[in-house]
Amino acid sequence: MKKFFHEFLKGIFRENPTFVLALGLCPTLAVSTSLTNGLGMGVAATFVLLGSNVIISGMRNIIPGRIRIPCYIVVIATFVTLVEMTMKAYSPALDRALGIYVPLIVVNCIVLGRAEAYACKSSVTNSFFDGLGMGVGFTLALLLISGIREVSGAGTILGREIIKGFDPVRVISMPSGALLVIGLLLAFFNLIKRKK
Amino acid sequence: MKEMVRYGVTLSLICGIAAASLAAVNLMTKSRIIAQAQAEEGTALKDVLPQATRFEPVKKDGETLYYKAFDAQGNWTAVAFTADQKGYSSVIQTMAGMSRDGVISAIKVLSQNETPGLGSGVTSPDFCGQFSGKAIDGLAEVSAITGATISSKAVIDSVKNKAQEIKELIRNEG
Repeated sequence: MKKFFHEFLKGIFRENPTFVLALGLCPTLAVSTSLTNGLGMGVAATFVLLGSNVIISGMRNIIPGRIRIPCYIVVIATFVTLVEMTMKAYSPALDRALGIYVPLIVVNCIVLGRAEAYACKSSVTNSFFDGLGMGVGFTLALLLISGIREVSGAGTILGREIIKGFDPVRVISMPSGALLVIGLLLAFFNLIKRKK
Repeated sequence: MKEMVRYGVTLSLICGIAAASLAAVNLMTKSRIIAQAQAEEGTALKDVLPQATRFEPVKKDGETLYYKAFDAQGNWTAVAFTADQKGYSSVIQTMAGMSRDGVISAIKVLSQNETPGLGSGVTSPDFCGQFSGKAIDGLAEVSAITGATISSKAVIDSVKNKAQEIKELIRNEG
């Protein structure tokens, strides 16, 4: 049990996909404008990561090494399409807010990265906890970035105004603001790591 | 050669399973997706033309050109239409209601993905409310949102152009 917990925690801290591995930064930059978007993207990516990690790990002895990448892509794309259809049916507003970035989870480097670096040589349970940890780590990172950006860039939390008359720093809402926030957070986490 | 066959079979097998599961989920969600879209359309129509009691889509080549709106007595009084144009970072889709002589009753932004806090202001009542009661030529008076000129202009221009187009279309109809 302790081992599974270790696999799970690794994705949140030691190998956090956003702040340590710096994978999948493109969707992170694009959707982290509000907390709802960040959460939606995080949950969708977590589901895909979990599903693809488990399936790919389960088939690791069947998939021939030379055609593994196309096999992985088919599995990942299937899960992404499942998420997209479900989202359209049950939460059309979120689907519209995330727009093109849901289909683009297919090419999110975290998902393929975990399949190639971990799931294809690990047991199903280990891969499950790895995917879960990575997904939660990605979601937490998105929540942190989008929280900072929504509060300072739009002056709201979950769409509600916090302080009346507060003039937000608009640039934080723009792509340039996303780069600034992510850069500062990366620097901050590196500082903590070096101190240890 | 033997390897090639094995690769082909494995990949087709995986694709087959993927296709089957997608087909199953599609079957489960299809009707719900269509229902969601219709429900959304219905509320949007009601929002832009609250007085109308019945809407009838006018289609051409399978696409809805505009909706005829009828009042409680069954008279055709107004039309509703959707207009879209590229804004700053997304295509902004707007629904607008217009009386038959070309006066906008209300507009509603259906979908946009503009910069939050700036361009997303096009959904605010302060902006959308300006359209109400303006004739097509009067739409130039709608003032753009500070810091979101491109998003505002996209909404104004798309509604204006589409309104003109629809007005021409319905002029000859009874």
